[in-house]
Amino acid sequence: MLKVDGLTVRAGSVELVHDVSFAIGPGERVGLIGESGSGKSLTALSLMGLLPEGVAASGTARLGDRDLVGVPESRIKELRGREMSMVFQEPMTALNPLMRVGAQVAEVMTLHGRARREARARAVELLERVRLSEPAQIARAYPHQLSGGQRQRVMLAIALANEPGLLICDEPTTALDVTVQKQMLELIAEVAPALLFITHDLAVVASVCERVLVMYGGRVVESGPIREVFARPRHRYTEGLLAASKLTPRGTRLPTISGSVPPAGRFPDGCVFRNRCPHATPACETAPELTGDGHAFACWHPAD
Amino acid sequence: MRGRMNAGLLVGGVLVGMVVLAALVSFFWTPHDPTLVDAAGKLREPGDGYLLGADKFGRDTFSQLMVGARTTLYVGIVAVGIAAVVGTPLGMAAGMTPRGWLSELIMRVNDLVFAFPALLLAVMLGAVYGAGTLTAMIAIGVATVPAFARVARAATLQVMVTDYVLAARAAGRRRPAIAFRHVLPNIGSVLIVQASVSFAIAILAEAALSFLGFGTRPPTPSWGRMLQESQELLFSTPRLALWPGLAIALAVLGFNLLGDGLRDFLDPKLRRIRAEG
Amino acid sequence: MTLYLLKRLAVLLASTAVAAVVVFAFMALLPGDPAEIALGVNATPEAVAELRRQFGTDRAPVAQFLDWAGGLLQGDFGTSYVTTAPVGPQIADRLGVTAVLVLGGMILALVIAVPLGTFAAVHHRNLLGAAISAVSQVGIAIPAFLAGILLVFVFAVQAQALPSGGYVPISENPAEWLRSLLLPWSSLGLVQGAVLTRYVRSAVLDVMREDYLRTARAKGRGSTGALWRHGLRNASIPVVTVLGLQLATLLVGAVVVERVFVVPGLGDLLLNGVAQRDLLLVQGVVMVLVAAVLLINFVVDVAYHLLDPRLR
Repeated sequence: MLKVDGLTVRAGSVELVHDVSFAIGPGERVGLIGESGSGKSLTALSLMGLLPEGVAASGTARLGDRDLVGVPESRIKELRGREMSMVFQEPMTALNPLMRVGAQVAEVMTLHGRARREARARAVELLERVRLSEPAQIARAYPHQLSGGQRQRVMLAIALANEPGLLICDEPTTALDVTVQKQMLELIAEVAPALLFITHDLAVVASVCERVLVMYGGRVVESGPIREVFARPRHRYTEGLLAASKLTPRGTRLPTISGSVPPAGRFPDGCVFRNRCPHATPACETAPELTGDGHAFACWHPAD
Repeated sequence: MRGRMNAGLLVGGVLVGMVVLAALVSFFWTPHDPTLVDAAGKLREPGDGYLLGADKFGRDTFSQLMVGARTTLYVGIVAVGIAAVVGTPLGMAAGMTPRGWLSELIMRVNDLVFAFPALLLAVMLGAVYGAGTLTAMIAIGVATVPAFARVARAATLQVMVTDYVLAARAAGRRRPAIAFRHVLPNIGSVLIVQASVSFAIAILAEAALSFLGFGTRPPTPSWGRMLQESQELLFSTPRLALWPGLAIALAVLGFNLLGDGLRDFLDPKLRRIRAEG
Repeated sequence: MTLYLLKRLAVLLASTAVAAVVVFAFMALLPGDPAEIALGVNATPEAVAELRRQFGTDRAPVAQFLDWAGGLLQGDFGTSYVTTAPVGPQIADRLGVTAVLVLGGMILALVIAVPLGTFAAVHHRNLLGAAISAVSQVGIAIPAFLAGILLVFVFAVQAQALPSGGYVPISENPAEWLRSLLLPWSSLGLVQGAVLTRYVRSAVLDVMREDYLRTARAKGRGSTGALWRHGLRNASIPVVTVLGLQLATLLVGAVVVERVFVVPGLGDLLLNGVAQRDLLLVQGVVMVLVAAVLLINFVVDVAYHLLDPRLR
């Protein structure tokens, strides 16, 4: 359904995302994980055509038979909110403070051709569907009267309103309290059509997704079914990431990946991870291909 | 060096520097006596030692502009001085006791003073005491107090919630000590920016007052009055309006650019607190 | 909201009352005996005392104030000591002219600033946007009366298209009325427009960075549509605040511009009053202008609360 091929994102001469390819089938839930600065959010924004000023994408991305990259805004905006939707990280600022919540939910439907009255009525249904109690009252409220968790549910209602084929969630629970996070994740897992779920949190990916893409330095370094990747990571970065997130017995040192993520444009040539990789050899100066069927990885010295 | 040189700072600095230089030099030297009435040189054309020509009384325009710069700076310094000396402590006091009656009182009085623009104050003072440079300076100064107080209050509110102030308060430091040790140094850059912006407004106010005859009295040269005197000659000798007009505009532009430039230069974080007019 | 409105109304009335005390104290209690001034230096003490009784200035200040303030409430501003004409009708005559001048200037400023400021914000990365910012910066540096003189030079002296001054009442000749006001309006409007353009630009720039604009685009709006539907109302909140300050500035600017163009408004009346040392007239006009500023602040505060649900 969504097919991304050779997606590259540049800000001027700096390459922020390099040659990313993946596909999402109907109803499939795919996680995109990586640290901040890995290019995961830019990947999602370029699919929506919402890249910030001065940042441009190339390559191809198709949703069904529609091109998403390199088309004018007037074409892609018809798809946004209808064929694909996005929920952002920060619920506190994502809603217009001067507009009632119901109107903001209804807007996404009237924009794509539904009658105003019908949209208003359906907005309340949607608020109920995202498990907001007293949806009619919520619809009349202004955003500042709602909690962060409630606002994120509203965002989800907006995203689901036109029953899109693809939902993109960019760290939708990061800004929420832990208890609220869990409910939100369950809800997303329940209502999402095909899903591209962006996070830095491995546990979250494991609970929501079937397949995972690991990004580092603007590249997909490993991808595959979640159980396989988590049980048997091949790329050394994935391995390090998993080791760092495991609960360790009291008294032992938490394993970490040495060094830190370089700023954009400062990643080494060849394998982007080699300056932090304990297994790097001169061979890593040549960029490894992402190879493998099902479970793929881009590493010269994979773990086994 | 906390900041980076920027174009506004540079251009503003040069323009303000020119005004200051003209004023300083005028203490020692002007091409001609700016107040010398010379019937023979009435409306003298530019040239021949009279760089910009002479007005209807034969007074040299360039010399008048130089001494006018002095008047402008003098009024600006005193007016902004009054506003800063009165407004800053009031604003700090209001900011340090944000929920107290003192703060409420200060801000209410502030709002009330705000309803008396400089021009009205000057006219009232002028009507009672007779207009002059002093009444103009006092009027502009008093009318500028609210802007200073508001900006000082906003900046103080920000400083009061920083960790170092919270630590000082937790350590039992008294308010005056906190005000001098922590608040004042940290709102200094905001106040400097405000001073620059207020200076620009003071120049505009002084020019308007002199234009109306409520400012500097003749024969002391003033840009605003030069404009007023030139108005009737606009049809025959427009240059008489051009030069003082240009002087006012460039001086105001200079102080505004300097203010904006200083804001970026001194502390980009405080950019949110806008200087008020 | 109702509670806020009542509270704010109380503040308005209280500050107007305090302002009246200030104006009175300033004008009526300070040196200069109107009776002596009116009669000149050669008057007999009996004549002065008689005139004082007539004026009512022989009474206690508090009584004089209550008399004056009580009159104000009924629209009676007292009778001039100099011309013996009642002050109220003179003010009423001039108020309309000044109001038209100020409102026209404000409308012109808005018409200039909103599209230009928005355009400069949207195109803040390119040359045209930067050029608008630069021009508005220069505009701010030009006082209204200087703009007036420049406009007179261009349109009256050079082009001879418009009158350099004077005022024709609308009842006499609507076309000439319009022509006589074009330059005064422009003097006020161009300068205030320049100031306002900067504020509109920065307000729109701030809003353009807001997440909810991205949300709107994610719903399927284009960037222009998102700014139009979700951005402008949000941007109008800080602009309304500035607008209030500007109206006050315009009111004062009008006093000067009336002098430049010989327009018979409140400013002209005020300055004539000062010239003739007609203190009661000055007192009345100042009171009206101050009350107008307070009223504008009130309207702005209420508008602010209406616009922003977070404050309701």
